Amino acid sequence: MARYILRRLGFMLLTMFLVSIAVFLISEVAPGDVARHILGQFATPEQVELLRDQMGLDEPLYVRYFDWLIGNDWRLRRLVGMPLKQVLIPGRADAEWYAIAPDGTMLQWKMKQEGLVEIRVTPDGERTEVLFDGWLVDENGEEYFWGVDTAGHVVLWKKGEAGREVGPASAGRAMIEASGVEYYPIRRGLLRGDPGISFRTNRPVGPTLARRLRNSLSLAGIAFVVIMPIALVLGVLAGLREGSPLDRTISLFSLITTSVPEFASGVFLILVFAFWLKVLPGAAVFPDDTAPLQNPKLLILPVLTLTLVEVGYVARMTRASMAEVMNAPYIRTAFLKGLPYWRIVFKHALRNALIAPITVIMLHVNWLVGGIVVVESVFGYPGLGMYLLDSALFKDINAIEAGAMVMVALAVGSQLVADIIYTFLNPRIRYT
Amino acid sequence: METEKKSRLRKFWESISIVLRSPTAAVGLAIVLFWVFVAIFAPLLAPHDPLAQDASAINQGPSPTYPLGTDNLGRDILSRLIYGSRVILILAPVSVLASVIVGTVLGLVGGYFGGIVDEIVMRILDAVMAFPTILLYLIIIAAIGPSPLNVVLAITFVGAPGIARLVRGLTLDIRTRDYIRAAEARGESALYIMFVEILPNARGPLIIDALLRVGYAIFAIGTLGFLGLGLPPPTPDWGGMISEARKYIWTNPLGVLWPALAIASLVVGLNLFADGLREETMRYQ
Amino acid sequence: MATERPGVGSPREVPILRVENLAISYETRYGEVTAVRDVSFEIGRGETLGIVGESGCGKSTVAFGIVNFLGRNGRIVSGRILFQGQDLVGRSERELRRLRGDRIAMVYQDPMQALNPSLRIGDQMAEVLIVHRRMKKDEAEERCIRMLERVYMPDPANVMRRYPHQLSGGQQQRVVIAMALLNDPALLIMDEPSTALDVTVEAAVLDLINDLQEEFDTAIMYISHNLGVIARVSDKVAVMYAGEVVERAAAEEIFLHPSHPYTLGLMRCVPRLGMEKASSYLHPIRGRVPPPNRLPPGCVFEPRCDFARPECAERRPPLKRLTDGHWVRCFFADEVASKGQEALAARWRKEATVHEPQREPTETILTVQDARVYYSVPARRLFSREKPVVKAVDGVSFHVPKQRTLGIVGESGCGKSTLVRAIIGLEKLSGGGMEFMGFDISVPVSKRDLDLIRNIQMVFQNPDATLNPSFTVGFQIARPLRRFRAVPKDRVKDEVIRLLNLMKLDASYYDRLPRQLSGGEKQRVAIARAIAARPELVLCDEPVSALDVSVQAAVLNLLLEVQRELGTTMLFIAHDLSVVRFFCDDIAVMYLGQIVEIGPAEAIYAPPYHPYTEALLSAVPIPDPTAEQRQIRLSGSVPSALNPPSGCRFHTRCPRREWLPDGGRICEVEPPPWQADTEEHRILCHIPLEQLRRMEAVVSEEVRDAG
Repeated sequence: MARYILRRLGFMLLTMFLVSIAVFLISEVAPGDVARHILGQFATPEQVELLRDQMGLDEPLYVRYFDWLIGNDWRLRRLVGMPLKQVLIPGRADAEWYAIAPDGTMLQWKMKQEGLVEIRVTPDGERTEVLFDGWLVDENGEEYFWGVDTAGHVVLWKKGEAGREVGPASAGRAMIEASGVEYYPIRRGLLRGDPGISFRTNRPVGPTLARRLRNSLSLAGIAFVVIMPIALVLGVLAGLREGSPLDRTISLFSLITTSVPEFASGVFLILVFAFWLKVLPGAAVFPDDTAPLQNPKLLILPVLTLTLVEVGYVARMTRASMAEVMNAPYIRTAFLKGLPYWRIVFKHALRNALIAPITVIMLHVNWLVGGIVVVESVFGYPGLGMYLLDSALFKDINAIEAGAMVMVALAVGSQLVADIIYTFLNPRIRYT
Repeated sequence: METEKKSRLRKFWESISIVLRSPTAAVGLAIVLFWVFVAIFAPLLAPHDPLAQDASAINQGPSPTYPLGTDNLGRDILSRLIYGSRVILILAPVSVLASVIVGTVLGLVGGYFGGIVDEIVMRILDAVMAFPTILLYLIIIAAIGPSPLNVVLAITFVGAPGIARLVRGLTLDIRTRDYIRAAEARGESALYIMFVEILPNARGPLIIDALLRVGYAIFAIGTLGFLGLGLPPPTPDWGGMISEARKYIWTNPLGVLWPALAIASLVVGLNLFADGLREETMRYQ
Repeated sequence: MATERPGVGSPREVPILRVENLAISYETRYGEVTAVRDVSFEIGRGETLGIVGESGCGKSTVAFGIVNFLGRNGRIVSGRILFQGQDLVGRSERELRRLRGDRIAMVYQDPMQALNPSLRIGDQMAEVLIVHRRMKKDEAEERCIRMLERVYMPDPANVMRRYPHQLSGGQQQRVVIAMALLNDPALLIMDEPSTALDVTVEAAVLDLINDLQEEFDTAIMYISHNLGVIARVSDKVAVMYAGEVVERAAAEEIFLHPSHPYTLGLMRCVPRLGMEKASSYLHPIRGRVPPPNRLPPGCVFEPRCDFARPECAERRPPLKRLTDGHWVRCFFADEVASKGQEALAARWRKEATVHEPQREPTETILTVQDARVYYSVPARRLFSREKPVVKAVDGVSFHVPKQRTLGIVGESGCGKSTLVRAIIGLEKLSGGGMEFMGFDISVPVSKRDLDLIRNIQMVFQNPDATLNPSFTVGFQIARPLRRFRAVPKDRVKDEVIRLLNLMKLDASYYDRLPRQLSGGEKQRVAIARAIAARPELVLCDEPVSALDVSVQAAVLNLLLEVQRELGTTMLFIAHDLSVVRFFCDDIAVMYLGQIVEIGPAEAIYAPPYHPYTEALLSAVPIPDPTAEQRQIRLSGSVPSALNPPSGCRFHTRCPRREWLPDGGRICEVEPPPWQADTEEHRILCHIPLEQLRRMEAVVSEEVRDAG
């Protein structure tokens, strides 16, 4: 069994690796220049070029992939000559990069009118700014310096090239600063918990993503808890009485509810409960996107919408499996052994009948995720789905990539859980 | 030849009568045929130009001029619904057909050759299938932009792995049959065995799966439209219509109801038909 | 149960089971269909009633009808089922449930399917006692262990903790039988309990049933399609055809004096062990069992009957009493009985030469030299470096002379099918060589020359899988003709029809699809396809074992005809030793990937035997309750080919090892040598030939003459 699970785990890691490449390629190689998209169509070519440099888009693809996946601070520290460290700014969903001097002082550099300024923050939080004078000289006699700027880049400054500002830019990014000659955005990498900066909000993706994920998980979790018992009971009942009026009713009901797209059933529910009956709110508008559970009433319609679509699907799977098992020869044996009906159902049939649907149900997490994106959009619920949708519409690459990887990890992880449950239900795999 | 044609025709009618024995399948087929009819005769049925805006009638309820009311730009909802059926009834089958072709080839190759070829094909398909479908749509459409062709491409890409898995499973089963051995013992080529000996025997489940997938495709096209990733405006697109009308749900609640009903009825009809067909063919065997 | 039991056969004793005029019908989409009608019989204490008939004759329906377990669409239309004097028809589900598994137990085919895959054996057995006897769990388990011991299950305590898939087929069937006997039932219904098992395992299960019957004094209803099995276990026999009992009598009576044309037909269509094609002929029953919704109006057997007269088609014959306890449903039972004697005797007439024996030495067409087929299988343990190898065929050598037939016998897993697939090129040889008509054929089919491919064709086992369901019969027979360009394009259709006629099928079959054909017809089409391009060598992999006995004969006769007309050389695989003996000139006996004995058919079936051959022969069920057959039973099951035993592969199960000094120590260490009995007959064994020659024949050679 260990062998089987390890094998599945191996496949899962392989799948995640392939998926990460796919996600990266699809979103980064997409037609259309991201920098141009961010700056708007009136930006000058220099501005676009500069932004591409600052975003690291001018690097070769494989470098970008590995920077994205495992970060580049360990690589860039050699340029600066000091370890680099990310520091969260208290009270804001934001983080800054510093170079760490041997004595523990955190250093940043900024080009100002008077020249390059070194910002020093001592371990006890004292902040001072001094004019920088530690320039190095290259073989051509030019003075240069690799440092860390205030926006999380490792920058090559050259003495004499004073800071210039390259015009205004659109959304989020107030001004493009171009004091340096070369830029490398510092990343800690997805695997180390840093999916990068959102182009849309100009903030790190991580904290927002976590909050949205929590919202979505609460919605999905509640839906899951509601759906599973209903669906399993309906499916088992229908499967036990295959061909009976009860079975036909349940089957038809599940087929219809499953077929109606979430946005349509969501609309129906809003019309009925919010518009005509006026008993429930029709949209899940929260004052801030922190706490969906504080107002459970807002969750009823979204959960109901998900339930309508999912119950039918799971019930149908369970029904098919149950009906098949009830026709199996070993169930006939159990009847011929003179066992009471419910003993046969619970002891002999149920376990075998659940093997198939449990795996399918877990695989169905994929589908549930899809439902969540739509349902969140229907009800304006601030979850991961909405975040992804907004990011996709804005081409916010870092956010899409991170959100996608989280969703895929959820899906693949649930498959692994399904595999493990499967081995526990199925002794043929447990004892080979 | 003549007799063959005749027997084909007879077989066709036989299968139709088998299907109609199931009431759910018959109802499903009726709904689908209704929409096909609407799509074909759209210019004759639609009372207005679906794109014509009437500034004097914005977000109105049903009236004699506009039987189902108007949208936020004063366009006739009925006409837009009628023309919208055309879009969806062309895009959905085309994209399913494309994914059936791609998926069948992959599944046959993987299933018949087995070994390392199968392993590679399946690992890649697993990776694609690990994506939540909606996420794939989001990423793909976000990357290549919304257009009819791109919608078809996205649905093909998302649907093909599922079909490949189905065909592979069927192939693995059929491959062990003695008639395949007999063909191999005759020294038939791999292509002959895959496409002549195996594929015709996989057609039953494949057709039913494809039918179900047309339902999913309509589902998906609607969802994309709703999320704003579907056909660019002003194309009458049911999902997009719902998304637009939802903003005015408090002033014109019926405006969102009609397209929702339209798409729900079409998908339900297709699924009823496919499901009834499956039940009947299973019983028939 | 303290009441005094009267002795067996006492006339006043109430029979355990008495079935009177039972009729059972099923609701189908064609309306209500009567599957069983007018069935009557009784079984007394300690008695075994054998019910025999082909598939679709309603045998199992009767069995399930007795416990009224007919599913949602089945029902008992009329009749009475008296169990220990009380009528079961119309009883509530609750009352029936109390009887099932307690007073009436049932065992049926395919034990793997009958056991719940996800429950331990112990739980599945113990619950019978817990539910019916309200026993405590540990007490029940103890009783189960004792019962497992009584069915000769090795290590029963351990078996209790296992899951079904961890046991072999024979062990599973023992578990099912033990489970049925736990409550000491008055009636035990067994539906083909040994059919899915290998012949040596089957023999052991049949022995067990005989032992248990003596020990438990249970009434047994034993259903089988195999006359030999019925002859071995039954006291009384009922022959069923198309939902009716057509003949019913004591076992000896029915085998000695069959009086219904169907019974007679069944006996004449299977070869008896010892029959050979040179001296005997199989008589197939024409046509097939009618489906229950299309029964003939008169006698159900009339369309297939050789004795039929016009009145048979008009009126249904009543059940007629012939002698005491011998009932026949035929107008002309007496005539059948007397003519039957002649017919049965005729099949043994040695002078009636049906087939010219091919005895003169001819050139060798196929030579197999030290052939090996190994598979590597995935490692069981996670971190083992060696890849385990299954040696499916390991060092097999033989040659086949032109126009002769070599039979290959052995139990499942002995490698006989793999060997044949290697010859046709579907399996890669791992070592050794093969030559066919002077060409090297040790390469897979993809690397063979088209003419070579044409010359080796194959007939497969499963009639339902042998034809592609999507294409017409004509297309499938024509394919090899086109592919090998055997006839000009415009003559393909004529040639296909000629082949169909050769297979006794008319031209109307040309446009039919396989699903419109019966099993026997499919197999005939498959033979036509195989011989279409006139191959020199046809490999037959169990071509008749999936067919009903009445159809088997027709297919075997066709194969013989083909061989005689086309002079084809054949390789014939089968597990039925009677069929192989009948059909083949030479026989090779395989065990665990090796040939252990090879030689002319008559030499294989007479001493000296290889100990394995001896055991196989003694396991063959013979359709004659008076036949004398020595009982040699093998212990254990076939070892895994993954890790075959050292020395002689048969040493773990060999009952003759003790003949050698030191208890056969040498068998464990050294591979045995080939010993030549005659030039053609060779045995792979350590035991000296002289000693093997002193063996008795397994089946007494004396052939009982009728009358």
